[in-house]
Amino acid sequence: MKRYHIVKRDLLTPGRRIVFYLLAIAAALLLGALLLMMTGVNPLSYYFKMLTIGTVTDSGELSRLAYKQVENLIKVFVPLVLTSVALSVAFKMKFWNIGGEGQFLVGAVAAAFIPLKFGVIGNQALTLLLMAAAAMAAAAVWGGIVALLKVRFGTNETLMTLMFNYIALYFVALLGEEKAGWNVFLDPESQRPLFRSVWDFVTMPAITIGKFSLSWSLLFVLVLCILVYFYLKKTKHGYEISVVGDSIGTAKYAGMKVGRIIVRTMLLSSALIGLAGFFKLTSAGPLSTSLTDSVGWTGIVVAWLAKLDTVGIVITSLLISILRFGCSQASVTFGAVDSRFADLLQGVILFAVLAADFVIRFKIVKKEEA
Amino acid sequence: MGVEVLTGFLYSLVVYNIPLLYGTVGEIFNEKTGSLNLGVEGTMAVGSLFGYLVGCWCNSLLLGILAAMVFAGLCGLLFAFFTVTLQANQNVTGLTITTLGLGIYYFVGHGVNKNLGWPSMQAAANVAAGWKAQPIPLLSDIPIIGKAFFSHNIFVYLGVLIAVLSWWYMKYTKAGLRMRAVGENPAAADSCGVNINRYKYAHILLGSAIMGIGGYYMALNISGEYLASTGWINGYGWIAVALVIFAKWNPARALLGTFVFGIFKTLEVYNDSIVAAFPKAFGWLNAIPLKVYTALPFIITAVVLFAGSVRKKSKSNQPAAVGVNYYREDR
Repeated sequence: MKRYHIVKRDLLTPGRRIVFYLLAIAAALLLGALLLMMTGVNPLSYYFKMLTIGTVTDSGELSRLAYKQVENLIKVFVPLVLTSVALSVAFKMKFWNIGGEGQFLVGAVAAAFIPLKFGVIGNQALTLLLMAAAAMAAAAVWGGIVALLKVRFGTNETLMTLMFNYIALYFVALLGEEKAGWNVFLDPESQRPLFRSVWDFVTMPAITIGKFSLSWSLLFVLVLCILVYFYLKKTKHGYEISVVGDSIGTAKYAGMKVGRIIVRTMLLSSALIGLAGFFKLTSAGPLSTSLTDSVGWTGIVVAWLAKLDTVGIVITSLLISILRFGCSQASVTFGAVDSRFADLLQGVILFAVLAADFVIRFKIVKKEEA
Repeated sequence: MGVEVLTGFLYSLVVYNIPLLYGTVGEIFNEKTGSLNLGVEGTMAVGSLFGYLVGCWCNSLLLGILAAMVFAGLCGLLFAFFTVTLQANQNVTGLTITTLGLGIYYFVGHGVNKNLGWPSMQAAANVAAGWKAQPIPLLSDIPIIGKAFFSHNIFVYLGVLIAVLSWWYMKYTKAGLRMRAVGENPAAADSCGVNINRYKYAHILLGSAIMGIGGYYMALNISGEYLASTGWINGYGWIAVALVIFAKWNPARALLGTFVFGIFKTLEVYNDSIVAAFPKAFGWLNAIPLKVYTALPFIITAVVLFAGSVRKKSKSNQPAAVGVNYYREDR
């Protein structure tokens, strides 16, 4: 009798691995194209619209508002890349922080609290700095609790961070509904409860190049990515993270304080996600329950697609940002396609890449059995 | 007036929250075989959409249920294929099922709405008739309780039946015992000759199909009106994931948990009328912001999760191998 067995295989060369991943992405886009054709949409023109993120008009010329579209893409990219990088720090340790959504919101709430309660403190720069610090501190506490429980009692962090997401989400929803003296988050001018924008007090500075204004947040975030890259690759902390991720037993045997490493790393991971919340708040307007734009979830996909590699995450974040923002732009032209086609495409791409992972890690051999 | 409000509250408690029971029982089947499937929300969304469309187009409630089970089951198949056969990470796979499932819901829903026209539930006479309440003779005549618990559509009775049968299956049958062994210690079960992969596949598929019925329920419960912004499932799948913990991985306790969590969900709607009907007893409810009710299931679950981990591992009931893939040659 012949039986098929799944066996781990030797590492493929990077070149061959890249070929497999590219094939996977091509297959995913092809499937997307078939679905688009079924709704009567020309997939080529849809994909063109998506990849050019609305910078090209229907007549094929560069749109006069193209600079605006690039600015908007950056607004999507900045929170996503920072969240994904932050999540990868925890994932490297095999700590399942799926609480990005909650940490992001908690960070944004804390950041908003500073100007809405105290107004401008000193000057704009100082206020922004305090907001960023508040966002990081609050999110670190929100994520740190889970790490502490995990270390102390072995509480399942996947499920706990999941619960914390929804507690944070409905806390923000509550702030948006309760008009009261203590609630500084609402617009005092409005009769109906409405979140007040921090833009009444502060704006994120930007470098203007002609009409285009390049937000400082992009520069900050890219510097942070470089710092995280060196933190993970070149420092003792980074090494400890990867040892704990490989095997807690080994880490303990080597004399590492595993509990402290887990808590410290999770504090860092969630603080960075809180900072992403701060950047989103200052670039995209008032607090809301949909402020996260699902980066807490998308970030997990991005980190995984990029194999937790920091450089890979930056590139993948950019591509996924183009995909998501591009689909919302394309849905303006193609009314028959919902903008959340992006979710579908993103899911198909991830599954295709997971399948490619399998082909890269394992092979199927046929064995004769008696 | 008080009696009517109380009856209405209890009736809504049942009718709006039974989908949670379907989602929870489905997820218990997944987790009991060691698979933390975070794709409940997406699986229910896919089941709801295709169940509704097929049911209406074929004018058959039964075909609707079957379609919901088959399409949700396909989501389960995807999850099983990737995590069991391809050894992919369960968290990432599950979350992607949710993203993909919601993407499919909006893409197909929007496409059908724009291109083919949305089928109305009323036009599909058999579906509309099948959804009608079927009071249980005698029991439904009991004051308050009769209307609240025994005058429902067949999906309510079916959900309770599935929960009880699942409880019996897991506790008293040989297959149920083996299934639990797979979730506790797959290597040991393997060495006793249990086909791990077959058990995992079967129960992930079965669980996902049950989630699909829950999704179909949610579609019919709002008369099949297409919701383009929030979707039909609107977070119920996530509450189900929480409810599994609250129910301590026990389908019978899930029944109880559904009503406990359901009280908060229902209070969101019934807060004002309860306060108006019983100002003395429940006037204090007015001081509670409505969103606290929405958050409470998650707060309670966090506490239960915490308490479970503080007590001895053996008492928390969580399957030991949940979230861990089984690769035979890693033993």
